[in-house]
Amino acid sequence: MSQVEQPLTIDEAYNQDNDRALKFLRPRFHEEKFPTIQILGYIGSLILTFGAYFLVMDHVLPPVSLLAVILALAVMQGALQIGVFMHVREGRGLAWQIVPLYLVFLIAMGMVGMSIWIMLFKSGVS
Amino acid sequence: MPSFLPYLYHTLFPPTVRYPDILLIDFGLIMAGIGLLGFMTKTRRWGWLWREWLTTVDHKKIAVMYLIAAIVMLFRGGIDAEMLRAQLALPTTKFMPAAQYDEVFTTHGTIMIFFMAMPFIFALFNAVVPLMIGARDVAFPRINAMSYWLFAFGAILFNISFVIGGSPNAGWTAYPPYTGLAFNPGPGENYYFLALIIAGMGTTMTGVNFLVTTVRMRAPGMTLMRMPMFVWSTMITSALILFAFPPLTVALAMSLFDRLFGSSFFTLTRGGMPMMYVNLFWLFGHPEVYILVIPLFGVFSEVVSTFSKKQLFGYPVMVVSMLAIMFLSYGTWVHHFFTMGAGPAVNAFFGLSTMLIAIPTGVKIFNWIFTMWGGRIQLTVAMLYQLAFIPTFVIGGASGVMLAVVPADYQFHNSYFLIAHFHNVIIGGTLFGLLSGLYYWWPKMFGMKLNERQGKVAFWLFFIGFWITFTPQYLLGLKGMTRRLYTYPIGMGWHELNVISTFGALIMGAAFVALVYNIVWSLLYGEKDLTGDPWNGRTLEWALPSPVPEYNFARIPVVHERDAWWAMKQRGQSLADLKPEDVRDVEMPRNTPIPFLLGASFFVVGFGMTFKFWPIAIMGFVGVILCILFSGFDYEDHHHLKADVIRSTEASLGRLQG
Ligand code: HEM
Ligand SMILES: [Cu+2]
Repeated sequence: MSQVEQPLTIDEAYNQDNDRALKFLRPRFHEEKFPTIQILGYIGSLILTFGAYFLVMDHVLPPVSLLAVILALAVMQGALQIGVFMHVREGRGLAWQIVPLYLVFLIAMGMVGMSIWIMLFKSGVS
Repeated sequence: MPSFLPYLYHTLFPPTVRYPDILLIDFGLIMAGIGLLGFMTKTRRWGWLWREWLTTVDHKKIAVMYLIAAIVMLFRGGIDAEMLRAQLALPTTKFMPAAQYDEVFTTHGTIMIFFMAMPFIFALFNAVVPLMIGARDVAFPRINAMSYWLFAFGAILFNISFVIGGSPNAGWTAYPPYTGLAFNPGPGENYYFLALIIAGMGTTMTGVNFLVTTVRMRAPGMTLMRMPMFVWSTMITSALILFAFPPLTVALAMSLFDRLFGSSFFTLTRGGMPMMYVNLFWLFGHPEVYILVIPLFGVFSEVVSTFSKKQLFGYPVMVVSMLAIMFLSYGTWVHHFFTMGAGPAVNAFFGLSTMLIAIPTGVKIFNWIFTMWGGRIQLTVAMLYQLAFIPTFVIGGASGVMLAVVPADYQFHNSYFLIAHFHNVIIGGTLFGLLSGLYYWWPKMFGMKLNERQGKVAFWLFFIGFWITFTPQYLLGLKGMTRRLYTYPIGMGWHELNVISTFGALIMGAAFVALVYNIVWSLLYGEKDLTGDPWNGRTLEWALPSPVPEYNFARIPVVHERDAWWAMKQRGQSLADLKPEDVRDVEMPRNTPIPFLLGASFFVVGFGMTFKFWPIAIMGFVGVILCILFSGFDYEDHHHLKADVIRSTEASLGRLQG
C-alpha cells in the first residue's frame, strides 16, 4: 500500500475497542516459514557450551588463558541468545531495546564483576 | 517376591520417615485422601474440576488456586514453626531428635518463603493486576497457567519428602558442605534442589509475564505515571525476579550436579569452592527479600489511600524510591556473609550500600504517614494491618541497619538477633501486607466480604502474638543464642525467654485458626458485595462487578488520570452504562490441559532424579518435550466470545442500557 497509515488517536482506538489499532505501538515481526536462523542458533549455542566444557575438562590451556577464553565464549553465547532467541532486531526497532540492554549489561556485569572482586580473597588462600 | 521390592521399600521409607508422629500423619493423609476421592466421585465433581480449574487459563481462577496453595502452605509451615518452638521451650526433653529438628527448620524456612509468600504474592498479582490496568488477561495466559502448575508440582514434590525418602535438612539456604553427598547421602537435599528448580522456572516465567503485562497491556491513556502503585510494584518485582532467579537456578543446578553426577563445583576436594555457592545464593537471596516486600509496599499504598479517602501522598517520590530500592538491592548481598572474611574493602562497601537502602525505605514510610495525615481514616481490617505494618517494619529495618554494621555483625551473625530481624520485616512487611491485601481484595475475588469483626480478632492475635514471639528473640541473640540449635543447658539464662517466645507462637497459631474460621464463615454467611465497590475504591478493579465476569471489561476503559475510577466517580461516570451496540466480540484465551500436564511431567522428572530412578526421570523428560511440542504447534489457543454472550451477561448484572 502506498498510502501512509495514520496512527489512530487514543479516542479513535477506544471507539473501535481495539488497542492494536494504536499503530505507533504496534510491533513488527519477521515471519518465516521455517526457523532456519533459530536452528542454526541452537546448534551454535550447543557448540559454545560444549566447547567451554571440554576446554575445562581436558586442561588444554593454562588457567589464565582458560579463564579469558571461557569469558569470551560466555560473551558470544550471550550475544547469540539476545540476537537469535530474544529477537532483538524485531519489535518496535532497535532503538527501543537500547535502554533495557544497557540496564542488562550494567546489572550482569555488576554481578559478575563484583562476584570476582568478592571471591578474589580466596586466591591468596588456596 | 522380587528382590528389588525390599530395596525399594528401604529407599522410599528409610527409618527417618518412620517416626511415630510421621506415621500418624501418613495415616491421616491416607484417610483424608480416600475421603476426598470418595466425595469427588460421589458428587461427580471430576469433570468440573478438570474443565473449570485444572485446565483454566483465566487469571482470576489461577489467583484462587495460588491463594489456596498459599494458605495450605502457611498451615504446613506454621505447624513446623510450632514444633520448633515446642522443642526450644523444652530443651532438655527430646520432643524432637536433633536430626528431625534439622529437617523441620529447613522445611519451615523453605516453605514459608518459596511456597507460602511467593504464591500468595502471585495470587494478588493475578487477582488484580489485569483489572487495575484495564486488560482482559495477562500478556501470556497459557504461560501463566504453566507458571502455576510448575509452582504447584514443585511444592508437591517438596512436601512429599517427609513421608517418602526423608526431608532436606541443610537449612533453607542449603550451603555446602552440608548438602555435599559425602555428608548428606539421603534423598532429602535432592528433593530441595529439584523442587526449587521446578518452582523457580515457574517463578521466572511469572516475572516475564507480569513485566510484559504491565508494560504492554495497559488500557489506552494509562501512562506509566498514571498506573496504580500496586501495578508499579508488580512491574518492579517482576524485574527483580527476572534478574534474581537465574543465579539461584544456577547455584541449585550446580549443587545438584555435585550430588548426582559427581561434579565438584562446591565440594572441598578437587578444587571446588563452597563459598561460591554462598555468593551465588545471596546474589539471589537479597533481591529475593525485596521481591517478598515490594509487592506489599504496593498493597499498602492502595490500602492507605483508599481508607484515608485521599490521593497517595508524593506519588512520584514513591515511584522513584521503589526504583532506587530495586537498583540498590542488587548491590548489598555480601551483608549475608560478612563473616566469610572477604576483607575490609569488600565488607565496608557492602555495609554502606546496605545502609543506603534504609533511606528510600524511610521515604516511603513518611509518604504513607502523610497520606493518612488529615485523611478520614476507616479502621477496616485491611487498614489495621497497614497501621501495624508501619512500626513493625520500622523496627525490623532499624535492626537491619544494626546488622549492616560490619564489626557488630560479627557478633549478631546467625544469632537469634538475626532471626528476630528477618521475622520482623517478613512478618511485619510481607505477611501483614498479604493479609491486608487479602481482606481488601477478597470481595473482588469472591463476591463477598470477609467478616470484619472476626478479622479484627485474627488481626489482634497476629499482632500481639508476633511481638511476644520475637521481642525475646532479640534479647536471646544478644545473650549469645545461635540459630538452628535444638537444645541448650537450662542454666544459660535462655530458658525463660524461650518459653515466652513459644507462648507468643501459640498465640500466632490461634491467630491462624481465627483467620481460617473467618474465611470459612464468610464463604458461608458473608455479606454479599452487590455494588462491586464495597470500599469506595479508587482504581479500576472497583469499576467492575464482583466477582468479575470472564472477559473482565465488556469495553476497555480509557484512562485520563491517576486513580482513574475515583475520578470517573467524581465526574458521575461509570462503566455500567454500556450501550448494546458498543459491545463487540472479544478474543479470549482457550483452556488447555498442557500446563497441567507439563507440571505433572516435571514432577515425574523431579521424583525420578531425586531417587536416581533414571527410567522414571526419562519418562518425565519425554512428557516435558511432548508438552512443549504440542504447545508450540497448537494454533487454536484462543476463541471468540460472542458479543451476544457479553451483552446478556452485562444485562443480567444490570450494566447495560436499554
Ligand atoms: C532497612 C532494610 C534492611 C537492612 C538494612 C537489612 C539488613 C540485613 C542484614 C545485614 C542481614 C544479615 C545479617 C546476618 O546474617 O548477620 C539481613 C538478613 C536478613 N534479612 Fe534483612 N535487611 C533489611 C530489610 C529486610 C527486608 C525488607 C527483608 C524481607 C522482607 C529482610 C529479610 C532478611 C532475611 C530473610 C535475612 C536472613 C537470611 C538468613 O540468613 O537466613 N531484610 N538483613
Ligand atoms: Cu539482605
